Amino acid sequence: MQASDQPITQDAPTADRTEPQAQVKRKVTFQCRNLTVELGSSEGATCICRSVNFDVREGEFISIMGRSGSGKTTLLRILGGLLAPTPDSSVRYYGERVEGPPPGVITVFQNYAASLLPWRTVEKNVALGLEGKVGREEARERVADALAMVGLGKRAKDYPWRLSGGMQQRVQLARALAMRPSVLLMDEPFGALDAMTKTSLQDELLQVYERTGATVVFVTHDIDEALYLSDRVLVLQGDPSTIGESLPVHCSRPRHQIETKQSEGFLALRRKVYEAIMQRHE
Amino acid sequence: MSSRSRRLGRVNWPGLLTLALLAGAWEATVRWSLLDYQYLPAPSAIARGARTLLASGELIPNVLHTLMVTLIGWSIASVIGIGLGLLLGLSPTAYRYSMTSFEVTKAIPPITFVPATLLIFGFSLRMELVIVVYVGVWPVLINTIGGVRGVPGELLDLGRMLHMSSWTRVRKLIVPAAVPEILVGLRLGLTLCLVLAVVAEMVGNPAGLGHALVRAQQALQPEKMFAYVLSAGVLGITLNALFRSAASWMLPPPAGGPEGGTP
Amino acid sequence: MTAQTATRPDSGRQQSAREERGNRKRTTPFPLLRGLLPLVVLLSVWELAGSPGSPYFPPPSTWGSALIALWENGVLLAAVVATLTTFSIALGAATVLGAGVGLVVGGSPAADRALGPTFEFARAMPPAAMVPIATLLLGYDETMKVTVVTLAAIWAILLNTRAGVRRIDQTLLDAARSLQLGKLDRIRKVIVPALLPAIFLGVRVAAPIAVVITLLVEILTNVEGVGALIAQSQRTFQPARVYALIVVAGALSFLVNAVLGAIESYVFRYRPSTAGGGE
Repeated sequence: MQASDQPITQDAPTADRTEPQAQVKRKVTFQCRNLTVELGSSEGATCICRSVNFDVREGEFISIMGRSGSGKTTLLRILGGLLAPTPDSSVRYYGERVEGPPPGVITVFQNYAASLLPWRTVEKNVALGLEGKVGREEARERVADALAMVGLGKRAKDYPWRLSGGMQQRVQLARALAMRPSVLLMDEPFGALDAMTKTSLQDELLQVYERTGATVVFVTHDIDEALYLSDRVLVLQGDPSTIGESLPVHCSRPRHQIETKQSEGFLALRRKVYEAIMQRHE
Repeated sequence: MSSRSRRLGRVNWPGLLTLALLAGAWEATVRWSLLDYQYLPAPSAIARGARTLLASGELIPNVLHTLMVTLIGWSIASVIGIGLGLLLGLSPTAYRYSMTSFEVTKAIPPITFVPATLLIFGFSLRMELVIVVYVGVWPVLINTIGGVRGVPGELLDLGRMLHMSSWTRVRKLIVPAAVPEILVGLRLGLTLCLVLAVVAEMVGNPAGLGHALVRAQQALQPEKMFAYVLSAGVLGITLNALFRSAASWMLPPPAGGPEGGTP
Repeated sequence: MTAQTATRPDSGRQQSAREERGNRKRTTPFPLLRGLLPLVVLLSVWELAGSPGSPYFPPPSTWGSALIALWENGVLLAAVVATLTTFSIALGAATVLGAGVGLVVGGSPAADRALGPTFEFARAMPPAAMVPIATLLLGYDETMKVTVVTLAAIWAILLNTRAGVRRIDQTLLDAARSLQLGKLDRIRKVIVPALLPAIFLGVRVAAPIAVVITLLVEILTNVEGVGALIAQSQRTFQPARVYALIVVAGALSFLVNAVLGAIESYVFRYRPSTAGGGE
């Protein structure tokens, strides 16, 4: 299944084309070929994805969409090295086979409450991945930087339960940022938050993205969110699923919650993604 | 899958095998005296002991005595526990003016009352019954209070909305909502009643499984002791299982389906 | 809706329930003392009506003098120390063994299946009834006491640990792996702290059982301890001493609970408020 990297929107606004040539030349961060996933249970294996092919290029912001059960999260767990695909699949990170979490690739989970350690303060949670790997002084600095980046500098000594959901998710993001990641894998990170918190976190994420230059793979079921954040949207279709569409988002950065979301290009793409998700494979 | 093969599939073969292996190891240990315990009987000797007890008619009357005391004591304890629990659960005044007393008394391990009741009632069936009733009241009482006071506020609002009288509310909303927790208390009570019956028999009332156990100990007959302990265990499992099936017959099936995992 | 019901005038039952809970948390002495009333009345009536020479119900004041006498000749202290020693060693052993086995059984469904029936069988044997067997096999000594109490206390800890292992969120383990934590670090920094509440809950449930079984073993076997002292006082017809020692036993079990509660709120001070521990 080839995912076309061609802009499918002929009527995309010409003003904000983000040099497609440059994108092609960028290094391939993740390369997935013939990716097939089977999840085993006592009743036998279920095939979730079949022969999925796609590349993630360095510095790219990619969203993965699809109906629930289409294997978005599974795909992300495979990229993060938390789950192994079938042996004949090939998943490479800068040319290396992914076997276990690759260095520099950090996953941010939807369930922030379950992924933070309740017995550690905010700063100690953020420091978790650094302990024993960098010096004390550097760890302290990185933790402070990361917390400042997500606007939580003042809550460093609090325990997670004292923080709102949005803040807890910021802590998780800070914990990832403290690792100076080259890739952020985000699994519906804002899915459990209310609409207002969600938009402000989206903007913060975009700022972080600009500043760190990290590659982001973002799983979401919110079309607006995917389009607003990404350079490209992959849509999973079918059962077992494959990449049905790969839609570049030609909206200029920095983006704006109102203007970007009301631009014609955005609205047209929104319709396309919606149709791609709803389409049935018979 | 037919229900029969399913049931066969559900038999825990590795588990039973482990149990059999352990019993085998025990047997071997005793046969070849790998461990130096003079009074450790082999499983085969215990089985023989149990058969002797059954044949000589020593076992059944003792089991029946313990069973009878347990059931009578438990019934009395349940009536007291539920009655008192409803009173304390429904009346905030009664609760406020007595709960600390109950909690202080509850802190005293009931086992220590065994010598005291022995002083008062002597070696008798009465002594055994008093102990069994006393120990059985606690879980029923505590769970009844908890169940009644834990009735969700929405349910009480519903009662008010439908203009139920307070008696109707108690009868149709509060007590039914508290039944699952009361049942848990009753089950705990049943187990405790049995255990304390055996203990009371060991110390005070010369009858039943507990007394037979002590007599076997004095006669240095470990295989009989094991047989009596096993009987007490089987009695406990049986009572528990009977209670569970009775309770599940009384209650609607839980919304979340049965609890996972093999027992 | 909560606020609504609270302001409604006729929701007396609920309001008072909430007030009661609130009060208990703030530990104002007043409602607690108020609740002591029936006990105080009972003891006062007993004091006034009972005759000091009664072989059954000597008044509470005689308990006091019996206690003082026991304290003065050092018997009481020795007994309390003996009981607490057995209790602590046994609870410690039960915690280590129970948590260890619970960890294995919770982590491996195969081990759980293989050991399940054996555990079920062993657990069904009433520990009280095991006492005579234990004395026959091990003799009348500390080892026997500790063994019986450990075997009685281990199940609550084992089962709670097993449940705790099963409840650990996969996300937590994924997060630790994603952050490149090594296996040892994952166990030390994530899994063990995540299990502590479950293990501790097990200990909270096991502790009263351990107290009861310790006293029971002492009552049945007369190996030194508070239980043995009670049984001995009963056999020598000293009712005042029996009642006094019952109070001591109650105080001991209260103390054990309070100490464990303090440890719990210290260890889990990161948790919101005092989450109600075990029963």
